[in-house]
Amino acid sequence: MSVVLAVLWKDLVTEWRRRDRVVAMAVFAFLVVLVLHFALPARDADEARRLAPGLLWVAYVFAGLLGLDRAFAIELENEALSGLALAPADRGWLFLGKAAANFVILGAVQAATAVVFALAFGVELAPVAGGLALVVALGSFGLCAVGTLFGAIAVRTRYREVMLPLLLLPLLVPVLLGAVSATAGLLETGTLRWPSIQLLLVTDAVFGIVSFLSFEYVLDE
Amino acid sequence: MSEAAVAVAAEGLEKRFGPVVALAGLDFEVPAGSVLAVLGPNGAGKSTLLRLLAGLARPSAGRVRIGADEGRDRRRMRGRVGYVGHATFLYPNLTVRENLVFAARLHGVARPGARADALLAEQGLAALADRPAGALSRGQAQRLAIARGLVHDPPVVLLDEPFTGLDPASADRLAERVRALAAAGRAVVLVTHDLAQAAALGDRALLLVRGRVAFDSRGTRPSAAALEAAWREVGAA
Repeated sequence: MSVVLAVLWKDLVTEWRRRDRVVAMAVFAFLVVLVLHFALPARDADEARRLAPGLLWVAYVFAGLLGLDRAFAIELENEALSGLALAPADRGWLFLGKAAANFVILGAVQAATAVVFALAFGVELAPVAGGLALVVALGSFGLCAVGTLFGAIAVRTRYREVMLPLLLLPLLVPVLLGAVSATAGLLETGTLRWPSIQLLLVTDAVFGIVSFLSFEYVLDE
Repeated sequence: MSEAAVAVAAEGLEKRFGPVVALAGLDFEVPAGSVLAVLGPNGAGKSTLLRLLAGLARPSAGRVRIGADEGRDRRRMRGRVGYVGHATFLYPNLTVRENLVFAARLHGVARPGARADALLAEQGLAALADRPAGALSRGQAQRLAIARGLVHDPPVVLLDEPFTGLDPASADRLAERVRALAAAGRAVVLVTHDLAQAAALGDRALLLVRGRVAFDSRGTRPSAAALEAAWREVGAA
């Protein structure tokens, strides 16, 4: 557990001092929201509510892709990734530390994006903020779990910026199905759709366990 | 040499990257309390050898033994090895002390802060403790990297060209440190291009060429003259 906390602490302190990743993710997410706002203008509140879940998650996934790519780029400097891989711990704990840091950073960006999104599309998110936070947390867990795994794989490839989305996006389909459906349910009825939450829970469990177990081999040369 | 005294052993160690053979069946032992100097031209497989010994890569064939471990429990193996590579493994945005505390926590050191402070004092870096690692000179960063590799007090120390970037005074201090590590019972594997350093520090020397042993001073301390002769022969070949 101390390895998880050490990696989480290291990533958050590094990000706090650099701030390049969180700023890039936030600016990118805001731009995506703006582009969507102009590309798909909602004529009324009903249409905005109908479009909002999918568009919000598009912004979240794009911002997540950018952040996950940067998460391992910082480990390339001075070959720090090898230093991590030398830890005499199950490398699954390293994965959990990296994934937790990604989760926290992505969460901060998502919260800010939600505010911008609500303003741009005129959607009332405040009344469902608690439920939305739960859905976003569940969706982000799956995104960060599998994204951290594939970020570690892609970082050693020649075309890592292209490789990560190519590997990650197809796998994110069940996460997006569950997250968009659950968000839609919240905005339409104010309640959580249990089947969507179940889909997110199952996907999170599968992604989390597989990523934890396979990280040992991912860090081998 | 008794079996118990062997700290590091490679048995039929091979590493291939696709069709490229980086190491072709190396066999050697490094007793505790001794220094093995590994020499060779660029691309000889020296760094690959250290990365296999450190548990960063898996052999294509053969095995690595660290103490009584046979390379099966790679976690335990990593815990018994201190590796100082070409790169420093440092995070430039963390301070000097934070880098060491982080490494200590990764290795499960009981009091990471106290251990970091002790190593900083030992390496003459205490005055730089709160400086970002990215602001260090090459020599200072190298000393910090060495402290990082020793943070968990490992019985086996792997040094990949550690004298690179050090001024003469720092190089002398490092040479003393290498001798002290061996005197304290640690096995040291030292990769270097410097024949004089290899002769001065090594209890045994291996000269690698294209993944094979071209010269082995087994049983005798290598002399600078013998190493130069072997190096010239390799160069001629």
